[in-house]
Amino acid sequence: MNKLRTGTFHTGMILLSLLWLGPVLWVVVMSTRSFDDIAAHGVGSLPRSFTLDTYRQAWTDGGELRALINSMLVTVPSVALSLGLAAMAAFALSRFRIPGRRTILLLMLAGNLLPPQILLIPVAKFSELTGLYDTLWALIAVQVGFGLGFYTFVLHGFMRDLPGEIQEAATIDGAGTAQIFTRVMLPLTRPALAALGALSFTWIFNDLLWAITVLRTDDNMPVTPALLALQGQFVSSWNVIAAGTVIAAVPTVAVFLRFQRHFVSGLALGAVK
Amino acid sequence: MSDFDPGRRRFLGHLGLAGLGALGASSFLSACASSASGPTTGNGSGAVTIQSNLSSPQAKAAMEKLIANFNAQGKGTASLNTIASETFRTQLPTYLTSANPPDLYTWYAGSVANDYASRNLLLDVSDVWKSLGDYPQSLRTLSTDASGKQIFVPMNNYWWGFFYRKSNFAKWGVQEPKTWTEFLALCETLKSKGVPPIGIGLGDTPWVASAWFDYLNIRINGAPFHRELLAGKQRFDDARVKAVFTRWREALPYFDPKGKAYPFQEATTALLAGKTGMFLIGTFFADAAPKDALGDLDFFRFPIIDPAVPLAEEAPTDGFFASAKTANPTGTKALLTYLSGVEAQEAYVKASSGIVLPANPRAKASDSPLVVKGKAMLDEAKELTQFFNRDSSDALQPTADTALTKFIDKPDQIDAILREWQAGAEKVFKG
Repeated sequence: MNKLRTGTFHTGMILLSLLWLGPVLWVVVMSTRSFDDIAAHGVGSLPRSFTLDTYRQAWTDGGELRALINSMLVTVPSVALSLGLAAMAAFALSRFRIPGRRTILLLMLAGNLLPPQILLIPVAKFSELTGLYDTLWALIAVQVGFGLGFYTFVLHGFMRDLPGEIQEAATIDGAGTAQIFTRVMLPLTRPALAALGALSFTWIFNDLLWAITVLRTDDNMPVTPALLALQGQFVSSWNVIAAGTVIAAVPTVAVFLRFQRHFVSGLALGAVK
Repeated sequence: MSDFDPGRRRFLGHLGLAGLGALGASSFLSACASSASGPTTGNGSGAVTIQSNLSSPQAKAAMEKLIANFNAQGKGTASLNTIASETFRTQLPTYLTSANPPDLYTWYAGSVANDYASRNLLLDVSDVWKSLGDYPQSLRTLSTDASGKQIFVPMNNYWWGFFYRKSNFAKWGVQEPKTWTEFLALCETLKSKGVPPIGIGLGDTPWVASAWFDYLNIRINGAPFHRELLAGKQRFDDARVKAVFTRWREALPYFDPKGKAYPFQEATTALLAGKTGMFLIGTFFADAAPKDALGDLDFFRFPIIDPAVPLAEEAPTDGFFASAKTANPTGTKALLTYLSGVEAQEAYVKASSGIVLPANPRAKASDSPLVVKGKAMLDEAKELTQFFNRDSSDALQPTADTALTKFIDKPDQIDAILREWQAGAEKVFKG
């Protein structure tokens, strides 16, 4: 009886994970097919060819190297800056009796409820007025600005639950506010920061909307618009696009694998007192 | 806030693109506000920037080659900027209205270009046209705006037709039809052989259906009526428009039922595999064909319905226009002159794999039988139309997509569909 249950459980789970992995496998297989194979038999058919030239095409003709560098130039500073600023804001809001702190927090959260689409025009015009239009700085500024509210909210919830006694003990030992922040609060917030770091990395790395709103030169485009640019006006080489997608997925997967441990513990932390 | 889940991100992305369309519309309004105090970084009188939507690998390579040739000539420098065509489409109004816009753009001739011209966004390129004396009058008219100045320089055009595989037609023992009756008879024959006669691909690419509407309308009511209709001077709930759909209904049972589900690129695959008989599509579809199938392709013109109506064909014209705010009008015009020359046009035709006809009458097109036949068909036509969105606007296209997809699903509700279409179109024209 027990064996049967374990058996059913495993078969079920294997089928379920295949369901999730299916599309990924499909893309990987497609990326190794030749264009003529896809054109003759369709994207859904079984592969009748094998080539790795698609990766070369995506890498050189599609300019993925340049695009990946751009993506990193945007993502790394954006993640560092937004998490740094959000941690400071959350520290101040959660550990000090700042007048109107509830309103500030709610305001930050409310900003997240606005659909980004209605902010496209103001952001495009504003980046033009500040002279940042078509530079990576504009994209970094936008990503930091739009991430800040949510990160602050999450970190605030986390920091609020840290025991106040630790802070009091540090104060008695003679630590100033800055020292308490860097030497007590930040190390304690590490799980949450790591989880948010992995999340925000994927968000910013995968963003398309803001990139095409504030950039217009192809040399400046990060990897998502570059993938889009692999599509032709009418006809698309799906094999090259699939190869490009596989390449573009590598950094996020790597970051996720690296921070996976923190990610899970970060989610569970604070769940049980 | 961006999104983690790819499915949702894609959805938001689409929403975003829709939003960008709105952005384009409203940025016209705010253009005056921002142009006054914009930054003046970049080009000056240096390199001419050309913003291109030709993102397919062959076309992109062809453009890169042209720009390299131009730079080698030493008459000026240009830099090419290739943007994903879908991004380009939604961002074009933003580019044009920005304080420091790119100089030159790839885009379509006709009412789309004239629309921008009427907002004073386009550079007067009459100077360039002085050296294009031997261009046909039709192209000159097409490139002229309402105030009588040229604002567009055509690069090439292509044609639409019913494409099929010669080997399949031979296998089925059928011939190209000339008239609507012959066409319906051909459909009946193919259907009796178990082949869905008419292929179509409307999933993700619903605009393909507009070719059917355009062609039926110019065959039944003629090109002038078609243009007036798309310009808002006639009504979609007119009896003459209904006549178009009455004809269409005769052919509707022969449409590939799977065509609603997949995009036209998949429909091309179906045609090549012999799963459909023929396919009304533009020549660009050949890019989606494997190389060994290209020689087997042939086409016939959309069948004649009323011989009294002057013969018209769809021949979308692609080319360039320039921003009125360019900092370097001389360089921009020099580049346009180069691009419209014989050498550049022949180089483009050769380098791009698409089946296109150069705009310059002295430039040689490819001498493949398919291209010769296509050119002859266009030369024979009394009138040329562009395509639904090019003869009207990108804003009117979705109203057509909605109406036509609905019609294919529920042909008996045609009166209600046309009423809705008229209401939708009125909103666009007022907009």
